[in-house]
Amino acid sequence: MSRNTARRKVVASLATVALAATVAMVTGSVSASAATKKLTPQTGGTLTFLTHSPRLDHLDPTRIYTGRDLAFETAYFVRTLVSFKHVAGPTSTSLVPDLATNTGVPSNSAKQWRFTLRPGSKFQDGKDITCADVKYGVSRVFDQTVLGDGPTYMINWLDIPVDKSGSSIYQGPFSSSAAGIAAFDKAVICSADNRTITFKLGMSVGDFNYLLTYPVVSPVQKAHDLGDKYDLSPEATGPYMIKENTSAHLMLVRNPNWNKSSDPIRTPYPDQILLNYGLDQQVQDQIILSDSVPNAMSFDAPLPTNLKAFFESSSFKGGKLNEDTAFVGYIAFNVKKMPCLQIRAAMYYARNAKALLDYAGGPTYNGSYTTSLTSPLNTVDYAANGVWGPPNPDWKPEGNVAKAQALMDEAKTACPSEYKRVTTTGVTIDVRQSSTLTDTIPINKAAFARVGIVVNYNPISAGYYPTVMNASKQNDLSNSGWSQDWPNASTVIPPLYTPEGGFDLSQNTGEAIYPAFHAAVLKAIGTSNRAAQAAQWKALDKQAAAQFWVLPTLGIKTQVVWGTGVQGAYYWLPQGEPDYAKLWVTK
Amino acid sequence: MLTFVSRRLVYAAITLLIVSMAVYAIFAILPFDPAALTCGQHCTPLVIRANRIKLGFDKPLWEQYWMFLHGIFAGRTYGVGSAAFHCPAPAFGYSFNDNMCVTELLQQKLPITLSVAIGALILWLIVGVGLGILAARFKGRWPDTASSVFVLFGTSLPVFVTGLFLLIWVSIKWKIIPISFLGYVSVFSDPIGFVKLFILPWITLAFAFAALYTRFTRASILETLGEDYIRTARAKGLSEKKVLRIHTFRAALAPIVTLASLDFAGLIGGAILTETIFNLPGIGQWTLRSVYEFNLPVVVCTTILAAGVVIIMNLIVDMLYAVLDPRVRI
Repeated sequence: MSRNTARRKVVASLATVALAATVAMVTGSVSASAATKKLTPQTGGTLTFLTHSPRLDHLDPTRIYTGRDLAFETAYFVRTLVSFKHVAGPTSTSLVPDLATNTGVPSNSAKQWRFTLRPGSKFQDGKDITCADVKYGVSRVFDQTVLGDGPTYMINWLDIPVDKSGSSIYQGPFSSSAAGIAAFDKAVICSADNRTITFKLGMSVGDFNYLLTYPVVSPVQKAHDLGDKYDLSPEATGPYMIKENTSAHLMLVRNPNWNKSSDPIRTPYPDQILLNYGLDQQVQDQIILSDSVPNAMSFDAPLPTNLKAFFESSSFKGGKLNEDTAFVGYIAFNVKKMPCLQIRAAMYYARNAKALLDYAGGPTYNGSYTTSLTSPLNTVDYAANGVWGPPNPDWKPEGNVAKAQALMDEAKTACPSEYKRVTTTGVTIDVRQSSTLTDTIPINKAAFARVGIVVNYNPISAGYYPTVMNASKQNDLSNSGWSQDWPNASTVIPPLYTPEGGFDLSQNTGEAIYPAFHAAVLKAIGTSNRAAQAAQWKALDKQAAAQFWVLPTLGIKTQVVWGTGVQGAYYWLPQGEPDYAKLWVTK
Repeated sequence: MLTFVSRRLVYAAITLLIVSMAVYAIFAILPFDPAALTCGQHCTPLVIRANRIKLGFDKPLWEQYWMFLHGIFAGRTYGVGSAAFHCPAPAFGYSFNDNMCVTELLQQKLPITLSVAIGALILWLIVGVGLGILAARFKGRWPDTASSVFVLFGTSLPVFVTGLFLLIWVSIKWKIIPISFLGYVSVFSDPIGFVKLFILPWITLAFAFAALYTRFTRASILETLGEDYIRTARAKGLSEKKVLRIHTFRAALAPIVTLASLDFAGLIGGAILTETIFNLPGIGQWTLRSVYEFNLPVVVCTTILAAGVVIIMNLIVDMLYAVLDPRVRI
């Protein structure tokens, strides 16, 4: 405890000489390490997580996709062929082998990738993990009707023909034709000793091995596959296995068939991991604030009303993190419905970003003005594109009304019919229903009204993405957000700006520059020289920004808090979460 | 009597049928596609179409409803091939959000809600009726005044205030009854753990209900004490204790039993706040979440359950009344 106090004093001293804006960041990150005592990690105990969510999105490895779930599940019970390095700082985004013996061997201009499995790795039932199990695991993602929600890169990348509708002829292990199965068998090949798996891709993908950090490429025993119900209790390959999965909690206990010699990554200190679902958020915060369960870590950011108690009060003795994430918010223009560039740009300049950021709590806890769809955390691919945010001299946090008005005046002659619609009946923005809308809608309406733009909102209560992803239902703009899947803009620019990525809300394929843009995207995906690829992504980001296919909002921050009994926590960049694999408890 | 009960049972079945049809109709006119809610961010039209067929949402509403009724008696299979899954009878559908048959989920959640409701009922009857009797017995004296204060607090404090106070202070800060994360335990397997888990929810609910029952009991007893037959009993020379115990309580408590049975029925479908505050994954919390998620099979099931419990409790009360008052049977 005394060491904590001493370190806090150092932080306080530093803070007095630091710039005000930097103070918040420094306090956040240093407090986290201050709370994490430099003790020797110890084995045993129960590590408890608290969340207000009624459940994790998915437990089935094929279907896990959100950062928090990925960080949690790959730390404890799902092993992948390749993993991100489990260390603090930027080096964590580099790859290390997990179930495989290396991080992949590319050939044929990165159209073919080979991975060899590490010997000694087993499922929780004691059976050896083989290439056939990995291959079966990969096959599952092709049945999106049963096993949806996971990353679908494999469907686009594997060298499997598509039918007239553009769908893969392989439809997964449950309902495929003979031709589909044959095509899949040609694209994913196991060696005779059942230890080496080869992926044949239909295009060059220089960062294919990053996809293998995702459980969508992890082993599943065909005999144990229960389809949709596999989501309830998937078989473990990591150091823990699921003991109970109820409406109240997920309880993980040690997997007797996991052995450290076959797993170079994980250090399973606690005997048991208990994730408690469905807590009231205030209750969750009070448990951590009062340290009534010292071994507990909150799985969600604290309530905005409690942030000061956690981050600015000395009475809180637990640990805390306040970090930038790679998540970027944006509103996608449906370019088919809003083809006028001047109007799209005018909406960007008219928007009062400062009022919205202030409403959200300001930069200390809620983020920063977006300067690129690629997060600044991706130091290789990120560069402020010069169109969005502070680097653009025309941009003002509260909105540049003069610039926006000038663009609207241009639009009056360049696209008169759209101008008339926008200034009379107005544009409609799809938004997910939320309690903050009643406050943010007036801010936005007032900002756009300054240049005569009328905005209407379409709050969607349930099935938001299925609605807006349907081109016939999508309105003029759709609110959204995105985070890179791994530190490569190949997981940002193609998904958000091209249909192949599966998340193209901007409907920009009819734009004059699109064919050239699309060709440049495919070229960048296939570029294996990382520096050259990064230059291409930066250029593409700038090109897309200048077209205002999306209206960027904020780069998002995250907060994590935990009790005094949790140790070893640090911010893990790859998934924007604490590194759960390294946590241990003292009490 | 048999005719009376048979008639009421037929009415109950018809009511349940109408309730289920109404819920189906409400969901049918809402502007969303239930098939689209079965998948997440990457929900392509192809996947939505496949799920629509798998769940039968491609069929006319009347056929969907018929399949639902058929499933209750014969079970239901969803999907085809090796990915198909079967929900045995009584099948109320399949919850994609939980990857489970609704009936399986109901089996998990019903004991939790019953534990909350039964415990709270016992507590509020003991406290509420007890205080009501005391208040009536000592009308105008300090027990009556004290019970009025209790009633004032009980009726003015919402359940979420009482619940959050008890949880945050008694459980989290003072740690008198430390918060438990071990989930539901049966009273038969771990009685102490059971009481520890449910005591605060019982107190929360009982506090609100007991206040009402105190007032109701007091009024009912005082009203009964004013009846002519009580005067006669006193005139016959019976002691005040006997007058109260033999002649007053029986008459005064009959409407309280009716009220309690209906309140209990309401709790089975609707202890939403208490279950949410104390993180008890019972029927109420489940229903609320399912409404937000537009999880039709769950909402239909819990609505029918809630309606069924109310109908059954009403039936029991009516039968009791029929025993007490033969005119009801006509």
